Amino acid sequence: MSFDFSKAMEWAYKDMLTFFPENVSTFGGELDSLFAMIYYASVAIFFITYAILIAFIIMYRHQEGRKAYYYHGNNLMEFTWTLLPTFLFAGIGLWSDDAWTKSKYAYRVPNPDVTIDVLGYQSGFGWQFRYPGPDGVFGNKVRNQISSANPFGIDSNDVHGKDDLVIISPGGARPVEVHLPINKNVLVNLSSNDVLHSFFLPNFRVKQDAVPGQWIKVWFNGTKAGRYEIACAELCGSGHYNMRGLLIMDSQQDYDAWLDQQYKLVKPELSAPVSDSTAVAAVASDSTTTKN
Amino acid sequence: MQSATAHAHETHGHDSHGDHAHHHDVSFIRKYVFSTDHKVIAKQFMLASLFFLFVGGLFALLIRWQLAFPGEAIPLIGNILPDTWVSDGAVTANFYTQLLTLHGTVMIFYVIIPLAVGMFGNFCIPLMIGTDDMALPRLNMYSFWLVPPAGLIMLTGFFFDSGAAAAGWTGYPPLGPSSGAGQTTWLISLFLIGFSSIMGATNYMATILNKRAKGLQMFQMPLTVWALFITAILITLGTPVLAAAISMQLADQYLHTSFFMPDNLLVGAPDNSLLTGAFVQKGNELLEHKQLLGGGGQPILWQHLFWFYSHPAVYIMILPGMGIVSDVLATFARKPLYGYKAMIFAIMAIAFLGFIVWGHHMFQSGMNPLLGTTFMLSTIVIAVPSAIKIFNWLGTIWRGNIRFTAANLNALAFIATFIIGGLSGVFMASAPVDIYIHDTYFIVAHIHYVLFGGALFAIFSGIYYWFPKMYGKMLNESLGRKHFYWSFIFFNLTFYPMHLLGVGGHMRRIYNPYIYEFLQQYQPMNQFITIAAIILGFSQFILIFNILWSLKYGKKAPRNPWQANSLEWAAPAHPGHGNFDTDIRVYRGPYEFSHPDRETDFYPQWEEPQGDEKTVHETKEHSHSA
Ligand code: HEM
Ligand SMILES: [Cu+2]
Ligand SMILES: [Cu+2]
Repeated sequence: MSFDFSKAMEWAYKDMLTFFPENVSTFGGELDSLFAMIYYASVAIFFITYAILIAFIIMYRHQEGRKAYYYHGNNLMEFTWTLLPTFLFAGIGLWSDDAWTKSKYAYRVPNPDVTIDVLGYQSGFGWQFRYPGPDGVFGNKVRNQISSANPFGIDSNDVHGKDDLVIISPGGARPVEVHLPINKNVLVNLSSNDVLHSFFLPNFRVKQDAVPGQWIKVWFNGTKAGRYEIACAELCGSGHYNMRGLLIMDSQQDYDAWLDQQYKLVKPELSAPVSDSTAVAAVASDSTTTKN
Repeated sequence: MQSATAHAHETHGHDSHGDHAHHHDVSFIRKYVFSTDHKVIAKQFMLASLFFLFVGGLFALLIRWQLAFPGEAIPLIGNILPDTWVSDGAVTANFYTQLLTLHGTVMIFYVIIPLAVGMFGNFCIPLMIGTDDMALPRLNMYSFWLVPPAGLIMLTGFFFDSGAAAAGWTGYPPLGPSSGAGQTTWLISLFLIGFSSIMGATNYMATILNKRAKGLQMFQMPLTVWALFITAILITLGTPVLAAAISMQLADQYLHTSFFMPDNLLVGAPDNSLLTGAFVQKGNELLEHKQLLGGGGQPILWQHLFWFYSHPAVYIMILPGMGIVSDVLATFARKPLYGYKAMIFAIMAIAFLGFIVWGHHMFQSGMNPLLGTTFMLSTIVIAVPSAIKIFNWLGTIWRGNIRFTAANLNALAFIATFIIGGLSGVFMASAPVDIYIHDTYFIVAHIHYVLFGGALFAIFSGIYYWFPKMYGKMLNESLGRKHFYWSFIFFNLTFYPMHLLGVGGHMRRIYNPYIYEFLQQYQPMNQFITIAAIILGFSQFILIFNILWSLKYGKKAPRNPWQANSLEWAAPAHPGHGNFDTDIRVYRGPYEFSHPDRETDFYPQWEEPQGDEKTVHETKEHSHSA
């Protein structure tokens, strides 16, 4: 047992805002500055109220022979300290709404450049990812074909599903690893087949519960290449802590190279003849959006 | 025993306290075990809840040990615990999840609510409104006697092969219903304790409305009584919803309904052969079989029902404390409570708004984000009455003559911590800010600032304040102050740093944070927190020691040791069954401290005005602020 004292005391000498992990998404900065705004307002309120509290405790401490002021209060004061916080808090609420709608409202989700499906799962604890495959089109999802071998319930009759790339945890302690391109709008269709999970990308300020029976759209746009961690933020069982994944943000080139390699690795027979399936793809090109 | 209705009818005119204070020759069991005396029941709530406080505290320290030193054997007890809980003396992931679930559940449902509502509601209401007992004493007795079996049922889960409940104190489906018998005991236990709450609450309302002493207007009741009255309304409106939700989850678990369970679930808890829509395990192979009945349920429905109760429940936990703190502060500042009516209206506003903010727990749950906007705005509105209360408390001590008794130190600490808890609430109330901090240690910090720093410090304050009336003995003040300083300092050292962990992204309910690279840097801070938490936990023994020591050696309490104004201090130092030995009439509000026309700095509610003081009293009535 070692004890790093200066690290342990960080809370005492480091500003709260410095604890944020680096932000690498487009809207993350906006969320962080909202946090900072509330933080500064809170610090001000904290110091003012504590100063008053401590001053009163000292000034009005018990003294023999002194009598307290007989006073029941004052309506003007009540109105003042009702209205002031109302304006402050209402301001925070209105200010917050834009960032909220931008990050979560369906109509504000930008046109995706890349779409993937993500499932949290409990038997073994981890994440499963689906890429549309060389044809660029996801196979339809059908609920009654969901099984542990086909967690996404890819329709066996849909030709677009044949080349879909599914990435699951390698097993053991190794986290699942996926790649996505930077400076692109990424749309994640999120769900689960067992219990609730929560798809948490700390560096991207993304968090969304995965709910079985429901596909929820999550989007982000990463601004910096690198290796980032994926976490689960909703209690999903005893292995909840163990749902770590890795998200590698690549330039478009590196990303394409990685995808090619994955296709070869997982489905060698599908890697080359992309053109064969493009005709079919055109027919159903709207099926990138999910059907369930 | 007198019938309850007889009590209710003589509301404003009972003058017969004296007789049933003496002539009952009751058996030991009737007197101390199955008693209908509200004061005995209050003590029973206190003992049971203090027991659970130590149980819940032990769970917390086991959790903390794992976070500080993952995988290392728990000191002293690690090697004597059974294999199902520990491996090599260290908590297993499975046991950890059970611990965090039961820590939250025990603390909320078996410590804070029974102390704040059960204990103080029982002790304070009849005494502070100047009556002999509750309107329905027997119902009152039942409401206590549901607590021990309910608590024990839940704890039995630890002795099942599959363990105790492990779906968090929020019990979210599908995890909840798809786990084993531990979850069932959890559900049954909550159902029973909810029933106990409802019985208590109806009783409080009936008592306050019907049994006030002669002359006591509603707007002359102390804040503690007002707060408990409104809390009782919250309980009766909210708890049935929880009961319904629990019944639905039980039905999902055993009757193959699917209120909360969508179809085609691949859930795989080890012993869920009871479940139809589940995996059945056979050796190492998971055999899947489809849900036979139903399907198509909605996991989020549970969250709506649960939080529709549980958000008001956070006010069930804090409002009595706010009442206690108001009374204690006024008494020890020797000043009228600032803005008496504003304080009452603020409580009413909190109670009303409390029913329309539940969705702030669900911003990231997958509910329609449009609702997120709505709940964000309502939540922000509810912060306003909380702020009003803070300002009025500050107004109360302004130009006072403050005595720093243990009771008052705890009340002042309540203000200090509630400021921080309220401010952290505003961060989370902003839905976009909540995206990042939801389900991190920021939330854990918030919870503990309002529930430990807030509710529990207020409860401590109330214990120090009313102990003399409860047991006829004074608590030792110097031990009381020691308990306070240790608790207050180590409370802050334990929970303040958690805000920063949350900002660092540290998830809550995590068995081993250090498998994440970005959290490895926080192990030293977690160790610091754990050490502070251990000291905080052990500081509570000072309170227990103080109680035991004072019961035996404490100074005999006078009738009105704090020179306070409210009616409980008119009762004998150690009141018997029936409470008062004089006929109580009320002449004024409870906060007439330091009246300029009086020699003494207090003016009890029951003291008859002398001659021309009567007119002074009339004008004073009007000067109460609105
Ligand atoms: C200024 C007033 C308050 C505001 C604005 C506020 C706001 C919030 C919000 C938005 C959350 C959800 C955060 C999340 O899960 O992401 C929350 C959680 C919570 N609050 Fe408050 N709160 C306030 C006061 C209180 C009080 C007085 C109590 C209790 C006495 C309380 C107890 C809790 C608890 C227990 C949770 C966590 C529930 C869980 O386990 O997820 N809050 N609060
Ligand atoms: Cu999880
Ligand atoms: Cu809430």
